[in-house]
Amino acid sequence: MDRFKRLRPILKKQLVWYSFLIPTILCLILLTYIPTFTSIKYSFYDVSIVGVGEKFVGLRNYKTLLSSSSFGKAVFNTIILALLDLSVIPIGVILASLINSLGKGKLQSFFRIGFYMPNVITGVSVILLFQVVLKEQGGILNSFLSFMTQQPVEIGWLSNSMYSKFGATIISIWRGSGYTMLISLAGLQSIPSEIYEASEVDGCSGLQKWIYITLPQMTKTFVFLLTTNLIASFSRFTDLYVLSGNSASGRPGGSLQTILMYIYQYSFETPNYGMSSAGAMILFVIVFGVTLVNLKMTGFFKND
Amino acid sequence: MKKRKITRVLISFFLLALLLFIMFPILWAIVLAFDRTVLDVLPDPPTMCPKEVSLFNFEYALELIPLGRYYLNTILVTACNTGVSVFCSMMCGYAFAKGKFWFKKFWFLFMLVVMMIPFESKMIPLFLQYRSWGMVNTYWPLILGAFAYIYGIYFARQFISDIPDSLREAAVIDGAGEWKIFFKVVFPLCGPLIATLCILQVLNNWNSYLWPLIIISSREKYLISVGVSMFNSAQQSVYYGPRMAVALLSALPLMFIFLFFQKYIVESIAVSGIKQ
Repeated sequence: MDRFKRLRPILKKQLVWYSFLIPTILCLILLTYIPTFTSIKYSFYDVSIVGVGEKFVGLRNYKTLLSSSSFGKAVFNTIILALLDLSVIPIGVILASLINSLGKGKLQSFFRIGFYMPNVITGVSVILLFQVVLKEQGGILNSFLSFMTQQPVEIGWLSNSMYSKFGATIISIWRGSGYTMLISLAGLQSIPSEIYEASEVDGCSGLQKWIYITLPQMTKTFVFLLTTNLIASFSRFTDLYVLSGNSASGRPGGSLQTILMYIYQYSFETPNYGMSSAGAMILFVIVFGVTLVNLKMTGFFKND
Repeated sequence: MKKRKITRVLISFFLLALLLFIMFPILWAIVLAFDRTVLDVLPDPPTMCPKEVSLFNFEYALELIPLGRYYLNTILVTACNTGVSVFCSMMCGYAFAKGKFWFKKFWFLFMLVVMMIPFESKMIPLFLQYRSWGMVNTYWPLILGAFAYIYGIYFARQFISDIPDSLREAAVIDGAGEWKIFFKVVFPLCGPLIATLCILQVLNNWNSYLWPLIIISSREKYLISVGVSMFNSAQQSVYYGPRMAVALLSALPLMFIFLFFQKYIVESIAVSGIKQ
């Protein structure tokens, strides 16, 4: 009894602190941990109708998936699109360097905001816009190219499966380069100016400074951009789904079907939850790996 | 010195030209949206001057799509989501920054680990779970997840750690409980944090697509992103003018928010590194 009395204020203190955390903990258990483990479980089961006839099948879903040519194609598409998307990084870095060279002031913030603007516009309206811009006939990009080359250009950026990945990349560059510019600019401005001053004394030219000081100093920023970009590209869905006319088939000709669209197809268009869970697990392993590298390289864990 | 000035002017002109080039699609969409003659064929050759200026495309589009309704739905969900997520992440952030309790480190990791689980990998069981709770085609699944806004918790902890302990201690001596301290001392000092998190969450919610697409099935409950894409697929490859009108109207609120809060938004993104 006596001990309990001594413990009571301590317990009360504990409870008060836990009351700050409880909603979030409950939410995470119910809406993240349980579904994640269910997803792992389903990937080893044959689940056609939930609740009825769930049957353990071991690795069969994974085997079917990895040997299916349509999943292989989705993985291939995702990787190619992810690699093409990486071009936003050099574009963003060059943009940021140019904007940074203007020096702090009104002009710099004008360009910073202007170039970032496309990133804010609702994802779906951008697609509506670009469906017209990238149109084979009468699209403004083809008209521009015709004007530049002085001969008729009719490239089906979004209708020909040969070019569709480039078309999709044009959209993501348009939307994404502002973001990479912004992050690179923040990285550039955190480089201590003493280093530049020292190099000026040694007689370095502008380009030399850029190559030997700026780029190495930006390593952390590059890692961050690389990994966040890869993560976003690996789970790319919205724009390509809308481009396909609200279907996960990845039109034209399946050339734009990503892993996530494949999963969606097997979850909601022709349900086979076992298969789609196995696909989700494969995606999970990829993203988990990339995220871990990101957090480690950017020193996220060193904070305590 | 003179050479420097010239390069500066040259760079400015180059950037200005590039910016114009990037903005061109938006300008063209505005031209198309106001042109009465743009329905099933694009003007050939392309012009930057509408042949017949009218609001016809907007009127026609609004007849086909209840955009006002979608706005309200989206605003409702975004407001609930943002409020809940920012408040909860501040609660957790406060506990992790200033609290002393058992298993603190464990719970912090318990939350951070979630950052590495992509939403897509738990999406299917989560959907089935909500279906068994009878919540599919309601807004609950879009809001309940907001109780755990992990990035927010991380930033809130960071921010609240920097608030000097002396302020808290003074309140403790006055006999204030932790909740009172949270509301009376910590909350008023967190203006910049709240602003940043709210901006990030509003942008995030306004653009979310996949989850609302899965959860909401009745037409009148659509959020703007799904509603617009459904309209678009129904109009596939025809009626360019009305489609551009809808694209503009659905992008308008975010453009306005951006123009008003540009400084804060750009700062928030640059500081947090969160990708939209």
